[in-house]
Amino acid sequence: MSIFQIAATLFALFMMYVVTIHNRKKHISITEYSFWCTTWVMFIIIALFPDLMLGISGALSFSRVFDLLIVIALMILTTIVFTSYMTHKENTKKLEELVRKFAIEKRNEKK
Amino acid sequence: MPGLNEQAYINKVLKKTTKYTKNIIFVDDGSTDSTAIIAQKVIKHVLVHPVNLGKGAALKTGTEYAFKNLNADAVIFMDSDDQHDPKDLGLFKTKLNQDSQVVFGVRSFNKNMPLARILMNRFASFFILLIFGRYIPDIPSGYKALSKKAYEKVVWESRDYTIELELAVKVARHNIPFTTVDIKTVYHDLDRGMTILDVLRMITNIISWRFSI
Repeated sequence: MSIFQIAATLFALFMMYVVTIHNRKKHISITEYSFWCTTWVMFIIIALFPDLMLGISGALSFSRVFDLLIVIALMILTTIVFTSYMTHKENTKKLEELVRKFAIEKRNEKK
Repeated sequence: MPGLNEQAYINKVLKKTTKYTKNIIFVDDGSTDSTAIIAQKVIKHVLVHPVNLGKGAALKTGTEYAFKNLNADAVIFMDSDDQHDPKDLGLFKTKLNQDSQVVFGVRSFNKNMPLARILMNRFASFFILLIFGRYIPDIPSGYKALSKKAYEKVVWESRDYTIELELAVKVARHNIPFTTVDIKTVYHDLDRGMTILDVLRMITNIISWRFSI
């Protein structure tokens, strides 16, 4: 077992702890908690037994499992960035419309 | 007239402007000083954004209020930092009365304007000429007028200073006839200028609008 595998496992355990804290504080639902715990457990399994992914990485013509994981991570990150961008854009527009409505209504009340 | 933290100038600017028109709408864009309170003592129509949104958003608030609540036929945009001479309002009104849909106030590029500002100003105009085929002078000038009919075609999305650019692009893109008036060139030490990043942003926006508008 390499130092990287140990570090990855410890990181995943720490993240499961963080998810558990959020669950205890009722910041996330039981479904979300289950999803994230499953994700981190899978992360630990892949970190400790990377050979399990050899079949998939070979089928997708990746020479190394690590390369496959990097590509998957990039796809997930890009999706998250795009979703955040769209959410930010919608919220900014809603804020502008609300502020405008508030300013005009307040002025009309003074008439 | 949009404004943000203009308590130093607003009383003077509004009093000067009321000599030429009583139809002034001041939009306080989330000022943290007494700008709105001072404005309310001078004029009737003061709209207050509880948070700062940007010049473009403030202009849109004022314009929507003018057209929908006050039944205005046209609006003239003025900056509230005393860089626009209210004497020039007459020039805009004359052009609007001659059925001009859009009137751009054009400053003379003399020694009052820093060279870097002149170069960026010219660059913006020529870049729009290149992309949209129409030359619009002095795009960054905030002194301009729009008829209600023109507003329906150029309703902008920009919340910040990019509104000046978006307006020019939309006028060019939709082939809206426009006229120009010569206005006084005034600069203060508080003039908020363009940086290289602004220029890059401007180029990106113009190219993006070429495909989306």
